Amino acid sequence: MSALARIGLCLLNAGVGLLVSPLFEGLTRKLKAALQSRIGPPVYQPYLDLLKLLGKEDLRTSRGFFDAAGPALSLGFVLLLALLAPMGGPPPLAFAGDVVALLYVATAAAAVLVLTGYASGSAYAFVGGSREIMLLLTVEPVMAVALVVGVFKARTLTVSGLLAWQAAQGPTISMAIAALAFFLALQAQAGRIPFDIAEADQELMGGPLVEQSGPRLALFRWAMWARQLVLSFVLVELFLPWPRVGVLSLDLLLALLKVAVVLALVTVVDVVNPRLRVDQALGYYLRVVFGALAGLAFAVIGM
Amino acid sequence: MSTAADRAGVRQRIEALLRADGGRMRLTDRAGDFLFEPQADTLHVKVEREAVRRTAAALVADLGARFLVTVGTDRRPLAGDYGIVHLFSLDAEQLFVALDCGVDSGDARIDSITPVVPAAAWAEREFRDAVGVVPEGHPDPRRLMLADDWPEGLYPLRRDVPHDLKPPATEGVRPPMKAPPPGTSVVAVGPFFPVLEEPSCWRLFVDGERIVGCDYRGFYNHRGIEKLGDTVLTYGQIPFLAERICGICGFIHSTCYCQAVEKAAGIEVPRRGRYLRTIMLELERIHSHLLWLGIAGHIIGFDAVLMQAWRIREPVMWLCEAISGNRKTYGMNTVGGLRRDLAPEMKPRVLEVLGPVEKESLAVREAILGDTTLIARTRDVGPLPPETARALGVVGPPARASGLRIDARLDHPYAAYDEIVPHLCLQEGGDTWSRVLVRVEELLDSVRLVREALAALPDGTVLADVGEDVPADRMAISVVEAPRGEAVHYLLTGGDNRPYRWRVRAPSYPNLQAMPAMVQGQTIADVPITLGSLDPCFSCTERVEAVDVRTRTVRVYEPAELRELAQRKRGPS
Amino acid sequence: MLLSKVREALLGIRAGRVTLPYPFAPRPPEPGFRGKLEIDPDLCFGCGGCANVCPARVIELHDLDQHTRRLELYWRRCTYCGRCEEVCPERAIRLGPQFETATDAGADMVIRLDVFMGPCQRCGRCFPTKTPLDRLMTPGFRGNGKEARP
Repeated sequence: MSALARIGLCLLNAGVGLLVSPLFEGLTRKLKAALQSRIGPPVYQPYLDLLKLLGKEDLRTSRGFFDAAGPALSLGFVLLLALLAPMGGPPPLAFAGDVVALLYVATAAAAVLVLTGYASGSAYAFVGGSREIMLLLTVEPVMAVALVVGVFKARTLTVSGLLAWQAAQGPTISMAIAALAFFLALQAQAGRIPFDIAEADQELMGGPLVEQSGPRLALFRWAMWARQLVLSFVLVELFLPWPRVGVLSLDLLLALLKVAVVLALVTVVDVVNPRLRVDQALGYYLRVVFGALAGLAFAVIGM
Repeated sequence: MSTAADRAGVRQRIEALLRADGGRMRLTDRAGDFLFEPQADTLHVKVEREAVRRTAAALVADLGARFLVTVGTDRRPLAGDYGIVHLFSLDAEQLFVALDCGVDSGDARIDSITPVVPAAAWAEREFRDAVGVVPEGHPDPRRLMLADDWPEGLYPLRRDVPHDLKPPATEGVRPPMKAPPPGTSVVAVGPFFPVLEEPSCWRLFVDGERIVGCDYRGFYNHRGIEKLGDTVLTYGQIPFLAERICGICGFIHSTCYCQAVEKAAGIEVPRRGRYLRTIMLELERIHSHLLWLGIAGHIIGFDAVLMQAWRIREPVMWLCEAISGNRKTYGMNTVGGLRRDLAPEMKPRVLEVLGPVEKESLAVREAILGDTTLIARTRDVGPLPPETARALGVVGPPARASGLRIDARLDHPYAAYDEIVPHLCLQEGGDTWSRVLVRVEELLDSVRLVREALAALPDGTVLADVGEDVPADRMAISVVEAPRGEAVHYLLTGGDNRPYRWRVRAPSYPNLQAMPAMVQGQTIADVPITLGSLDPCFSCTERVEAVDVRTRTVRVYEPAELRELAQRKRGPS
Repeated sequence: MLLSKVREALLGIRAGRVTLPYPFAPRPPEPGFRGKLEIDPDLCFGCGGCANVCPARVIELHDLDQHTRRLELYWRRCTYCGRCEEVCPERAIRLGPQFETATDAGADMVIRLDVFMGPCQRCGRCFPTKTPLDRLMTPGFRGNGKEARP
């Protein structure tokens, strides 16, 4: 693709990641409210939240690299993830092995949050950070195995290759299992109940985010919403890319619709569940990893 | 109801007990033997201070008495001593036992009964703070309810201390907290408790994520209620103060207080008044349990339960507003009965509101019974074995969830509970899930009780004609089953239309003392729901202090100190 | 397990949205609601019964001079118990239905009422006049007295 097209696609992906994610967060809140018999905030509320927070005093509670750069790094990693992810077309940043890069960048965004929490020095952030790490250790393998199933079947380590193969191939058992595993991992990656263990405000007063306020908090929240959206895109495009029209705008629209359905399901699960303890969550995801490995077994035998 | 024969039987057993000790203690029942005449339901035993521990141990072990509370009274104007009265309940015989020990004002110490009656731990620390009598041999003699910067030697409930005294605030004072056992670290939850959003400071000693012990510093919420009760307010004004002891069980406290005065003065509340009190008490239980269900859901991150439980509860609040003029603080109780009657058009309205409440509560129960994630968060969490519950004097749903048969409505029937009999809701599990089940069952039983009471509501007045003054020098004990457990009010009547002493023991007082036992071996994540499952009411628990809360602020950190604390590796502990 | 989750979701959906539109739509309280103190200056004759029974000591009474008794109601500390209403022989002081009482002006929280007491022609002691016309005809009448001074 030409350099101009690539730049345009970069801007599109980054734009969707940044500008559309608060809208989806707002829709999520509205759905949650409807299930809880409430009216809920208006759909554009997250935009207002960001504007408000960005306008507040920048209060630093500790010194150190992560405290200074944490929020920007977090958002930066998520934007990088958006550039590596397919949204209606091939991802703008494509190179050999970018599936692996996708996985690492997704983890890096979460790791930055944990490190910033540690750097803040609060006991609550420390406990929240350690819980997040424990969760990451079991959730990342689920995503990895799901992607490995795709890689195995498509015989390629590039996202665009995987996308093209899946679009042409149609549904298969192994990819269906992988999609389900990725969806279950999404619940934790999006920080939703029953797995919002790290940010449990009822227990830990916000976990790693407890010392963040004002613009820093705005960037962290934005990063969380964008990550939720981008990972949903990855799920929807890599595992369920049908139907494909071939026109970028229409495919993007279709993808957005599918993302909306995925996030709606995530929200419903969020509403009807209490938060799990970290040991219970670890047990759960270990079981999911084994399930995902079953998908890999299916792939090996050719299904 | 206990009969005269029952009482005689108990008296004989107590007398035998006392005789076995060499006759140094006696059952006092003749006028002149006691300063404040007890009512027929109370057995008054006078003990010497050296024998108080033995007697308390014998009461608990041999007679099966249950410790209620200890009251420290400054009786120097009357008898030159401090009165330390340990109150026990003999549930089976529906009697109270008051173990009265006069402590000489020149030598203000008494044997602590905590080593033999663990439930007395806080009560003894409190009378030390209040009147200055030292409980010797107490395992934990720290301050309980006085602020850490309150001057030493100044005991607020002594009669020579004015109610509006404001000692100067001091800086640089921290509460003395226990040191963690070796190999553990400290996680402080509080002093602003994140979930319940009330001031209480728990220090958890943790080994990884497992808790090996905990320490508590509370009583930040003192408001001087007991001191106000015996200095500036009259009998008729105290119900309004009693109603504000608690934000959710106000009617319980005002009823309990009014019942104590009515017992002391021999005032008979008309039957309609007693029935109406029962109806309002049960309505309060309904909305309190629904509130709790929502809070418990919120604590474990299950906001859907919070929203639904509070949605179901809201019509009950509107109903109470229509009946009494306010959603929560009914203002209906007064000595002798009620100030407001139930209008005839309210009867069908109450039934109309209860119908959907019952239906929806049943639907919620159906839904959560099969919810394995909810059960995973609550089963085996915060276990309280029955022996521990009994030893610590736990009351209310936490006790009943551990299989203890305690319910003040059945043990010491009051209002109309002798005719409208509640069901004793028991579970054997002793964990948080059992407590959820007990409260849901009680909620549904309360609906039945209100319906029965309404159907049987007698005609007549709701207020007795209280002609004469309340006679002085009487003692009365009144208990009421609050949604959280048994509330106890102890009253000594004085002259000039006010009490000589008014002691309130809320149900959360013994229940909070069970927290260390309940969090032992649990993880930090389970602490909020364990505390929540006790349904603690911190404002109920903390009411004995005589100082304006605003001046008694916690220490003020210097800005540099704050920054340094925030930037230290592990944060403030 | 799944069934219980479905039931929980349905509980919320079946109930619909129950959020009230207050404050964008008014929500009057139930009749008989014990709200803000209201005192009718035409009915009050300064007996002081309300001040006597108030548990929060909100009402203060003192005589300014031979003819004027001043009532001050510091109703920021009012507990809305309604004892004053119960005791008032003229039903001059009432708890109205007003519950939106938040304000940032401290002066709003005090009601001052000067009750003009006319003296008896025979013994010289004060008693209140009955009608506004009578009051106008009595020398020294200064107005209805209900001013909130800062």
